[in-house]
Amino acid sequence: MAPHLSNEEFFTSLTSLLSTTSQKTRGSVYLTQKPLLNTTSTTSDDPSPTKPAILIRATDGNTNAPNPKNPKNKIEKATKASKVKISTVVAVEELEGFYGRYAEVCKAGMTGLKKRDRKRGKGKGKGGSGKGKA
Amino acid sequence: MPYLPTPQAYLEQSALLLQAYPDSRITTKYSFPSQRPTALKKAQARQSQRQQQQQQQTQDASTTQSTTQTPVATLTLKTYNPYAGICLQYRTNKAAEVGRLITSLGKLAGGADVAALGLGAAAATAGAAPGGDVEMTDAPVATEEAAPAQAAGQQAQGKPDAGTKGGKSKKKGKGKR
Repeated sequence: MAPHLSNEEFFTSLTSLLSTTSQKTRGSVYLTQKPLLNTTSTTSDDPSPTKPAILIRATDGNTNAPNPKNPKNKIEKATKASKVKISTVVAVEELEGFYGRYAEVCKAGMTGLKKRDRKRGKGKGKGGSGKGKA
Repeated sequence: MPYLPTPQAYLEQSALLLQAYPDSRITTKYSFPSQRPTALKKAQARQSQRQQQQQQQTQDASTTQSTTQTPVATLTLKTYNPYAGICLQYRTNKAAEVGRLITSLGKLAGGADVAALGLGAAAATAGAAPGGDVEMTDAPVATEEAAPAQAAGQQAQGKPDAGTKGGKSKKKGKGKR
């Protein structure tokens, strides 16, 4: 597996990953977070007085690969090279700042979700016109 | 593997799960609907059904067709612990919730408990992160209480933690009044 990226590199890669997925309107992006527990014996003796760093992964789960069932794609062997897989480690002290930016990146990147403004506006418009007609 | 109805419920349950099993993982899936032919057929069937219902209700169905062209992505949050086999999920398609959810995940990652998430109040609690003493005078007290509880060992962690949790929430209530 590729080594962990720095937080900055992670954000840039994540931004491009989210934007490509949103543009294609196809596929998925998986974001995983979990504590990076030490597997060494020190933790079992002394149950971590300091909190562990957080490991954050992002992948597209190879969902952006061409459909293998499509006969055209069978010729050029299905490679896993297309799979995007990035990860970074966040120290506890940096958590707040990191997640601030993380939220910004996700908000900006996940454009395929329903937008609030449009939905609300439509709903109001419909309701208003309905009332007007009635 | 339940889908929880509200983000608040999801975050609350996740905080409890993380307290019990700190090695749980949280996965956020940002996904577009499948474009396999069978899946598309099903989606179309559902859509047409919905349209029929709408047509019965309101006679102008022209506005609904614009939404059919662009698939709406979904965001699925999942907290899972492989040892306990517990999996909590929450699904949404609202862009407005993304920022709030991700920041809350950050608080969860920082080991925030239910009270620290500040789910009751709409205002974000800045003191949720460990060592963040921004909130009030009660925040450092709670962290001091939590620290020995953790040091006491993982098995005994449940009870003292529950105690601090209750105490903290009570204090918070008083503070607000």
